Amino acid sequence: MAGETPPSHRRDSIKQTVGNAAVQRRRQLAVSVAKERREAMFRTKRLCMEGISMNLEAATNGEKMIDEEPPVLESQTSKAVEELKLAVSFKGKDAVQNKVNALRELRRLLSRSGFPFVEVALKSGAIPLLAQCLSFGSEDEQVLEAAWCLTNIAAGTPEQTNALLPTLPLLIAHLGEKSSLSVSEQCAWALGNVAGESDELRDLLISQGALIPLAKMMVPDNGSTVRTAAWALSNLIKGPDPDAATELIKVDGVVDAILRHLKKSDIELATEVSWVVVYLSALSDVATSVLMRTDIVQILVDRLAASNNLQSIIPLLRSLGNLMSGDAYTTNVVLDPGHEITDSIIRSLSKCLKSEHRFLKKEAAWVLSNIAAGSVAHKQLICKSEAVSLLLQLLAGAPFDIKKEVAYVLGNLCVAPADGLGRPSLLLDHLVSFVRNGCLCGFIDLVSPADLEAARIGLHFIELVLRGMPNGEGQKLVEKAGGIDAIEQFQFHENDDLRMMAGLLVDSYFGETYGLDE
Amino acid sequence: MEWNPQTLQFLSQCFLDTLSPQPEPRRRAEKNLSEAADTPNYGLAVLRLVAEPSVDEQIRQSAAVNFKNHLKTRWVPSSATPISDAEKEQIKQLIVPLMLSASPKIQAQLSEALAVIGNHDFPKLWPALLPELKSNLETALNANDFASVNGILATVNSLFKKFRHQYKSDPILLDLKYCLDNFAAPLLSTVESISVKINAAAGSAATLRQLIEAQRLCCRIFYSLNYLDLPEFFEDNADKWMSQFKNYLTMRYPAVEDSGADGLALVDELRAAVCDNISHYMEKEEELFQKYLSGFVEAVWSLLVVASASPSRERLTVTAIKFLTIVSTSVHHALFAGDEILQQITQSIVIPNVMLRDEDEELFEMNYVEFIRRDMEGSDLDTRRRIACELLKGIAGNYKDKITERVSAQIHNCLALFVENPAANWKYKDCAIYLVVSLATKKAGGASVSTDLVDVESFFRSVIVPELQGQDVNAFPMLKAGALKFFTMFRVLIPKPIAMALLGDVVRFLSSDVNVVHSYAASCIEKLLLVKDNGVQSRYTSLDIGPILLVLMTNLFGALEKPESEENQYIMRCIMRVLQIADISPEVASPCITGLTTVLNRVCENPKNPVFNHCLFEAIATLVRRACEKNPSLVPAFETCLLPSLQMILAKEVTEFFPYAFQLLAQLVDLNRPPVPPHYMQIFDILLTPDLWDKSANVPALVRLLQSFLQQAPNELNRDGRLRNVLGIFNKLVSKPSTEEQGFHVLNPIIENLGYDVMAEYMSHIWSSLFTRLQNSKTPRLVRCLIILMSLFLVKHGIQTLIDSINSVQANLFHLILDQIWIPNLKTITGNTEVKLSAVASTKLLCESPLLLDPAAEKLWANLLDSIVTLLSQPEEERVEDEPEVPDFGEATGYQATFVRLHNAGKKEEDPLKEIRDSKHFSVALLANLSAQFRGRFPPIIARYVGPANQAALLQLCNSYNLTIA
Repeated sequence: MAGETPPSHRRDSIKQTVGNAAVQRRRQLAVSVAKERREAMFRTKRLCMEGISMNLEAATNGEKMIDEEPPVLESQTSKAVEELKLAVSFKGKDAVQNKVNALRELRRLLSRSGFPFVEVALKSGAIPLLAQCLSFGSEDEQVLEAAWCLTNIAAGTPEQTNALLPTLPLLIAHLGEKSSLSVSEQCAWALGNVAGESDELRDLLISQGALIPLAKMMVPDNGSTVRTAAWALSNLIKGPDPDAATELIKVDGVVDAILRHLKKSDIELATEVSWVVVYLSALSDVATSVLMRTDIVQILVDRLAASNNLQSIIPLLRSLGNLMSGDAYTTNVVLDPGHEITDSIIRSLSKCLKSEHRFLKKEAAWVLSNIAAGSVAHKQLICKSEAVSLLLQLLAGAPFDIKKEVAYVLGNLCVAPADGLGRPSLLLDHLVSFVRNGCLCGFIDLVSPADLEAARIGLHFIELVLRGMPNGEGQKLVEKAGGIDAIEQFQFHENDDLRMMAGLLVDSYFGETYGLDE
Repeated sequence: MEWNPQTLQFLSQCFLDTLSPQPEPRRRAEKNLSEAADTPNYGLAVLRLVAEPSVDEQIRQSAAVNFKNHLKTRWVPSSATPISDAEKEQIKQLIVPLMLSASPKIQAQLSEALAVIGNHDFPKLWPALLPELKSNLETALNANDFASVNGILATVNSLFKKFRHQYKSDPILLDLKYCLDNFAAPLLSTVESISVKINAAAGSAATLRQLIEAQRLCCRIFYSLNYLDLPEFFEDNADKWMSQFKNYLTMRYPAVEDSGADGLALVDELRAAVCDNISHYMEKEEELFQKYLSGFVEAVWSLLVVASASPSRERLTVTAIKFLTIVSTSVHHALFAGDEILQQITQSIVIPNVMLRDEDEELFEMNYVEFIRRDMEGSDLDTRRRIACELLKGIAGNYKDKITERVSAQIHNCLALFVENPAANWKYKDCAIYLVVSLATKKAGGASVSTDLVDVESFFRSVIVPELQGQDVNAFPMLKAGALKFFTMFRVLIPKPIAMALLGDVVRFLSSDVNVVHSYAASCIEKLLLVKDNGVQSRYTSLDIGPILLVLMTNLFGALEKPESEENQYIMRCIMRVLQIADISPEVASPCITGLTTVLNRVCENPKNPVFNHCLFEAIATLVRRACEKNPSLVPAFETCLLPSLQMILAKEVTEFFPYAFQLLAQLVDLNRPPVPPHYMQIFDILLTPDLWDKSANVPALVRLLQSFLQQAPNELNRDGRLRNVLGIFNKLVSKPSTEEQGFHVLNPIIENLGYDVMAEYMSHIWSSLFTRLQNSKTPRLVRCLIILMSLFLVKHGIQTLIDSINSVQANLFHLILDQIWIPNLKTITGNTEVKLSAVASTKLLCESPLLLDPAAEKLWANLLDSIVTLLSQPEEERVEDEPEVPDFGEATGYQATFVRLHNAGKKEEDPLKEIRDSKHFSVALLANLSAQFRGRFPPIIARYVGPANQAALLQLCNSYNLTIA
């Protein structure tokens, strides 16, 4: 249907964009329809199974999970809600203790990992009762238990999470400095689950003022609270609206706190905080430029070098990649090719390329492609490292998505950035060395109608080979690797850009000598 | 336009009349409609007419087509007369229910119209659409109204297609997200509910057909939604989708499939759509797809073995083999590594699909153009023959030796079977040839190839040569075609002596009655003549074709007489190529020009095939150029032949051919010695008709012709006010950036060839129009053209004449132009002749003009010298920056013939300063001479004003000619 627009006659201009496109820094797109990969490894919503506070040991003591049958537990759950209802309406002596006991029983049932009986509790009318238990002036223990119940309800299905709506203002109110640490942490947990659910709930929480108190919770040095708050914040600011990220970076003490926590030996803490950095740097230019004025890149690179665990490496890679693609300063100044930090990050990325986790390989290649979009010296540095041989191997045999990322790195390594008005020029020794090592087939494989960006980078690379390989060797190499068939697939494609590129390549390199003299 | 009975009556009558066989009422109705289309609410009125049940179906259909076309040109706000927003809103409200209740033919038009709107408005500007379609879909499904279901699904399918050909970006992903949020879940539930209905409808063929079509549409929508990325919903529900997909690959629907070819095709279309989807998952989402892979490979395999053995089912076979090809190149290629599997693949899938079918033979006989397009020109990507070879290539990526071994064995087998009984088993030989050609790797320069499946030379000798030597040119034509194709494709690898020995045979096949055979023979000769050794040296020369030239040309022209080959482009291209290479004696030239003119006269009646026509004109141009260069006495004979045809093109206004005709005329004018014969002067007058110059495609060709006239007959310009007309054309061309350069091409020959006395009265006007243009838009090209023009003027009419004529526009203007235009931009001049001209003119100005030799002008003098040195000492690529071409959209309206340059009617560049051989030498000598006159005056000026690099360059120039500036 888009075929209505007439084909452009300006093929020549394509040639000039070929090189340009190959040296772009690439930001991850803000919109995604795919499953968030983070969720595959960490749940955005988390069930709270063990108490978060040490003060309550007495209360939780002696509670043993008994493996009862689900039907029994189901009736227990509705009974527990009934008990709570009675306790809430009871006004006499021990009223508080009654409520706490009822809440504790309900919480115990809602904390079972296999079958949390959230649905039953909701149907029995637990939410209004829990909201009542959160009311101001209530005992800490009561608020804590109620928030705990809500946390686990919110960890359920979207509808179950949405059930928390009436309780949100109260949960937010308990985040304040007047609450005890354990109460505010438990409330933060509940809110984190809510924020993880949907864009709409994030917007709602932000409009109700959840951001600032959560941000303030990150400032002190209390490990557990900071961890939970950071996790909740990373859920809250993850967009797509960038305003929350910008607002967060402006909260007093947050930047310092982030840097401080990232240096700590507590891996889980640092991981949660680096997820906050991921979203800050992905969404907000303001936040990115604030972070750039600190030594965050150094800290992240050091952490990356010391990390061996998949879950902590991913946010580090993602943050570094975001900082590089968001602001050329990172690559040009912080990661100067003469500094040890640059060698270090390339070593770490090479390590990731060797990892058995495909996600790590892909992310590492993406980060590397952004470094490779830097200066000629950056490109040389990468080419001298072990990364290149790993990249060439991956291009030959890795699954499609990794191949595509790797292709961006190798493509970037072959083209020097444009200086001034000039066109970007070829780095011939890199190109020749890659081609001699057989990378052309990998690029040609990418030239398939299944993925247009991959096809584009493939065609760009073919163009480089045709233009750049010495002694006109490019033509023969492309032929031999079956490149002509690959290009021809796009000669009548509906994507204007690719169609023109394919046409240009065929015309200038494989066209018939037409109408020429003898 | 208001909706009332009058409007209804008016529109009905118009649409009825558009169907009239009489041209008069039809034209009037078309005119009325196109005028009415400009009134507000016209589209809405037509749509209402389409909806009016009382109106005849035929009229409504025609109105629906008109409605769709109306939207196509006017929906986009940037169009010349866009539909108003209010009208658009009403159209959007009406169209969906209307489409759903319409008869099939009208529904198709409205669905297309809806897609036109959707292209621009969906989803952001049409938020109501998708929810409306969704709820209608649900209602229709519940009511078992499958016609509506399919109408809705078809619409959704065309709306979502845009996700298949755009790059990933935030805006497109937002649109996709919107569509997913609204339609992903309903799509799955639709598929599942239709699946249930299919099982229930097992016996009812009519319902089943609709349901299967619905399911196919759902698969296509699935493809669009999954193209850019794997959406969360589809990942979460992969099991459900995959089980549906597998179902359609494995189930049979006898009620439909066994009801005839179209029933089977319908089910196969669904299966093909499934194959496209699983291919996409295999290619891009292999991680997710892994666990379903072996099940699908098995299902596709079984389907293929059955389909490969049956006569039709091309589309299913192609998509199914494509899936296996993708698997073979993926990380799971080991699935195909086993010897037994490989054997089965070659035996049960590849060979049966490569073997010729009845359809292939039919195409070969009935539509030779399409057959060649697929067979020879690579448009066969979607044929079973080709895709079967792609599968082999895919597996060969990892198991090359095994595949080579097996395919070689198969080729051997096929040939052995052929030998047993050539007449009955000829298709086996064709199969063998096809395998070798298709599995070869393509090489640059058109269609040349190489292979390591067989030894090319020995295969050629034993398999191909016997076919080419067959005496009956019409026997076993497909084998002959295959042999000629093989020869053509492997032409580079066939040694010259072997090829030469067969040339006569190939020429013989030009006389075959079979279109494909004589086309392939022509193509083979044409391509052979293009073979170059070491990339430069032509392998076959005039000496090689000389002995057979007469019979070759006779057979080529003979082939153009065969039915359906009257405009055979392969033949004409071969004629063109032979004429470019052969030694053309008068004995050959004369029948050729007669033959070509006859063809030209015929195609003028109704120009159809642009490639054929281009080759025809190129062939004529070549013949004229090469024959007349060698033998000028041929010119009159050529004129006698060609001029009437060219005049006819002009007289009958065959506008497509104007650019060609002008180029040929220019060529003929050039060949004449002055004075130009009177019959050309009529053409000169036609040439000055302003209308001709309005079409941009004509302009380069007209300029070319005008140049020829101006050079050959400058004095004719003086008569009858022609010069004024020519200058009018110059003015017109130079006023637009897109044609400014052409304007100078008109002016330069006047300046060069006419005496100053003739043009003096016009000069002031010419300069002032040029300088006005310069003030309004100073493009680098304009500046360059101007410097060249002034230089030409200077060398032809003298320095003082130039200065005076420019200053007559305004006092001291020349000084200003020199300082601000000439000197700073001299270094941007490119092209040998142009550099020489401007260097010589500038140096003359420097050394011979009192204006510059005035001591007060020493800085100006030095600057001019500096520019001259830059121009002379630096190579072009260092002096000149590439400038981006600014596209000119101003006149991209209406139909236009395109200008295609005829290589052989080109003009040789004339050097206006033939007497000066080396412009560097000339310049330095003039300067040295000057300095000798004013000894001691210039070195200090040079030292003071000229840049150090240019001082050094100047010194070097002096030294190389042994001259000094003292």
